[in-house]
Amino acid sequence: MLSLFVSIPFLSLIVFNIPGKHSTRLALFWSAFLFIAQSALALLFSTGIINPVARQLSRIFIFKLSLDPLSLLLLLSIGVAAFAALLAGNNLFREKSQKSNFINLLMVAVIGMNATVLAADLFSVYIFMEIVAVSSFVLISIQKDRLALEGAFKYMVMSSIATCLMLVSIALIILVCGDTDFGVVASGLCAQSGNPIVKLAIGLFLCGLFIKSGLVPFHGWLPDAYSAAPSAVSVLLAGIITKVTGVYVLMRLVISVFGINPAIQNLLMLAGAVSIAFGALAALTQHDFKRMLAYSSISQVGYIILGLGCATPLAIAGAAFHFFNHTIFKTLLFINAAAVEKQAGSIHMDNLGGLSEKMPVTGATSVIALLSTAGIPPLAGFWSKLIIIMALWSAGNFAYAYIAVIFSVVTLAYFLSMQRRVFFGKLALSLESVKEAGAGITIPAALLAGITVAAGVGFFWVLDKLILPIQEILR
Amino acid sequence: MTNQNLILSAVFIPLCLAFALPFIGKLRQNARNVFALLLALAAFACSTALLPAVLKGDIINVFKALQLGFNFSFIADPLAVFMAIVSSFISAVIILYSFGYISHYKNQNEYYLMVVLFLGAMMGLVFSANLIFLYIFWEITAITSWRLIGFFREKQHVLRADKAFMVTVFGALLMLVGFIRLGQEMGSYDLFVIKDAISIHPVSNVTIALILAGIFSKSATLPFQTWLPDAGVAPSPVTALLHAAVLVKIGVYVFARIFVATIPLTQFWHAAVPMAAGISALVAAGAALVETDLKRIIAYSTISQIGFIFLGLSMGSELGFAGGLLYILMHGLAKAGLFLCAGIVEQNTRTKDITKLGGLITAMPVTAISFLFCAFSVMGIPPFGGFFAKYMVIAATLGGRHFIIAAIFIIGAFLTILYLFRAFNMVFLGQVKTSAPGEKEPVMVFSVALLAVLSLAGGIFIRYPNEIAQLSCAGLPGIFK
Repeated sequence: MLSLFVSIPFLSLIVFNIPGKHSTRLALFWSAFLFIAQSALALLFSTGIINPVARQLSRIFIFKLSLDPLSLLLLLSIGVAAFAALLAGNNLFREKSQKSNFINLLMVAVIGMNATVLAADLFSVYIFMEIVAVSSFVLISIQKDRLALEGAFKYMVMSSIATCLMLVSIALIILVCGDTDFGVVASGLCAQSGNPIVKLAIGLFLCGLFIKSGLVPFHGWLPDAYSAAPSAVSVLLAGIITKVTGVYVLMRLVISVFGINPAIQNLLMLAGAVSIAFGALAALTQHDFKRMLAYSSISQVGYIILGLGCATPLAIAGAAFHFFNHTIFKTLLFINAAAVEKQAGSIHMDNLGGLSEKMPVTGATSVIALLSTAGIPPLAGFWSKLIIIMALWSAGNFAYAYIAVIFSVVTLAYFLSMQRRVFFGKLALSLESVKEAGAGITIPAALLAGITVAAGVGFFWVLDKLILPIQEILR
Repeated sequence: MTNQNLILSAVFIPLCLAFALPFIGKLRQNARNVFALLLALAAFACSTALLPAVLKGDIINVFKALQLGFNFSFIADPLAVFMAIVSSFISAVIILYSFGYISHYKNQNEYYLMVVLFLGAMMGLVFSANLIFLYIFWEITAITSWRLIGFFREKQHVLRADKAFMVTVFGALLMLVGFIRLGQEMGSYDLFVIKDAISIHPVSNVTIALILAGIFSKSATLPFQTWLPDAGVAPSPVTALLHAAVLVKIGVYVFARIFVATIPLTQFWHAAVPMAAGISALVAAGAALVETDLKRIIAYSTISQIGFIFLGLSMGSELGFAGGLLYILMHGLAKAGLFLCAGIVEQNTRTKDITKLGGLITAMPVTAISFLFCAFSVMGIPPFGGFFAKYMVIAATLGGRHFIIAAIFIIGAFLTILYLFRAFNMVFLGQVKTSAPGEKEPVMVFSVALLAVLSLAGGIFIRYPNEIAQLSCAGLPGIFK
């Protein structure tokens, strides 16, 4: 049953590529349907934990999928973000071959992400992460221009370093535990927690995942990759891909495999707090819309990691909720950036101004997204930050709670400066003829803004249905 | 309609239906304006309809328990109803005035949406009895004032709008930390529960200081006052609404709600809060004396008068508390009137600089008289409403034997008289320096005249508002010595 989340996209991918005459339009509609269906399924079925029997591939390598409330929330996020990116990509790419390549690669990435989220053993997680990474290298360089190739190359180099670290770590873990199944490895690592090889393995894996999530000090590749990629790809990359392959896997492994101990907690909280601070301060100084969003991403991922590091059930639930919110609002902001780039021809913020007047949907949705990011009620981002801060407070991590609060103000500061330079204010003279972007951009933007407002106002429903069940995975 | 439904309608009619305004505005401008006014009047009507039950001594509560202690809880007691009536009434007058003032500008749909949304959030804040919900409504008012201050979209204006937003959000986040601490210390975010738990756990001073930082930032009290005069770049009805009549009163109201009605302050804070308020009142009054921009003068005057309200509320006596509440009413009416008069002057002469104005009383007699009436009320000249409020506040201070603080505030009151007469003198009397075409928009003139008459009537019929203020005190048994 769970394998359908992987196998149906996979079959679709094969069908899209049967040699002969085929229509991009059909592929577009079918993919859109699949992504909506995935989100709807994730919303409709609230489950406990499903753990089907493992399929033994060999003595060590197994292939096993399982589902718990955290993966369910991730499936929902993937479905929504992929749908938004699909519509945006269809609007932004002009040539037919590029459109069709984009849809195919997006499908590959979704297969990889769905499988990463559902996999319950280390080796499968590793393989599916690689599938996502490879499809994103190609996606970034899809238009074959110089800057994008450079960005893709940087991403590839960093990603391969991460890959090496993780592969070595998996090898060490197999050495110690003789297995890759989450449950077996977890008890194996727990039994030998004093063993230096175990410490090394965990350290290497965490390093690899820090690189993948773009946490400070491994964040260097992230702004380059995001800003060099074509707009539609940066939507996908920032919104969901790096979040699943980096942040989600980190959450999953810390919770279900490495186990929560004070050393890991301190490391995560420190990395989270430093990322929050660094990302927010760096975002303040940016002039390029997409780079600013990239630094903001680093900062927001810091909040997720801070919540994860706090590691009480409430904090984990808050971190997961912030993950979901971050997917929604960051995808939305990148779609806004794409709209501005396409319509006004620039994303250099000093050349823009007063665009709300000409692009009312883009302007209004960007306000909703930024207020949600800064944690202003009643939007969804407020609740997730509130839960994280409350959890930090009740766990006694007062200093981190204050950092989380203070940098909300900095977040607001850089976003207000963006808003002032791009949307609010007087219309710049050179922009008199700008029009609102097409429906392929405004529909996903309105949809994502709607989700942000709805999840904020209908917070208690969301909390009951999606967020609080996540606490169970710690028990 | 049951009383519970009245509370919900007072909050959610403006809050939800505000979003219909831009769509109505796309079809017909006049329909949108009238609908906006109707929404404000609906909030006013619902709040007034709560009055009989509340005057009988009932406390009406709407409660729904939700997860994590974020309980949905609204309460209507005399304090809340008094505040709701004052804010919704003044907002309605200001919306009426906007019909004339705002009709020449772009972005009117956004304007009406934000004003009504602001009112809805204000009503929600007034009735909230759960700290988390109170914080939510508090921040919605910040979002709307951010858009409203930047209404004209000039670079400078947007910068100042951002400044106001940043300062108030910074304060609010400190307050949120205070709320979380309070919630953890008391085990609940519900004000009822906190009130009961207070006898067992005393509240730490850090918590109180954090919450006070939020309150002071919203009410533009020293050291968070700088955003308020800068925000005077907003359209005049906005400055009247936000910076005189309603927004800055949010801080004062929450002070009354939390630190008078729920957590009685300790002796230290009874001395510290009036001291901070007194310094704020004096510094702002001094600034108002030297300022030459008419709207900035009135804005500084607001900062100064807010000090008097804090003084009354923090005295810990019934007289002071009732005086503080009356002050909220009288100052709201009169200060809104002053800002709206300034708006008429500004729109007709195209300047706010009082050194370039003069002799306008011949061209704008009604505006001049209204300005004078409102100024009398703010100065505290009998029989205007402001006199009684100021008298009660100062009397309560003397009754509490705080002689130094009383002296500071009496000096502040003198300065008020000075700077308001100076402004009146330079704008309306003396030589005519600019040509003014006279009072053009009748709705605008009617609105200021209404506020001026009410400032006078509030003093002559002081009995009625005083009764509610006294009842608000009676509704808080055991708080006052």
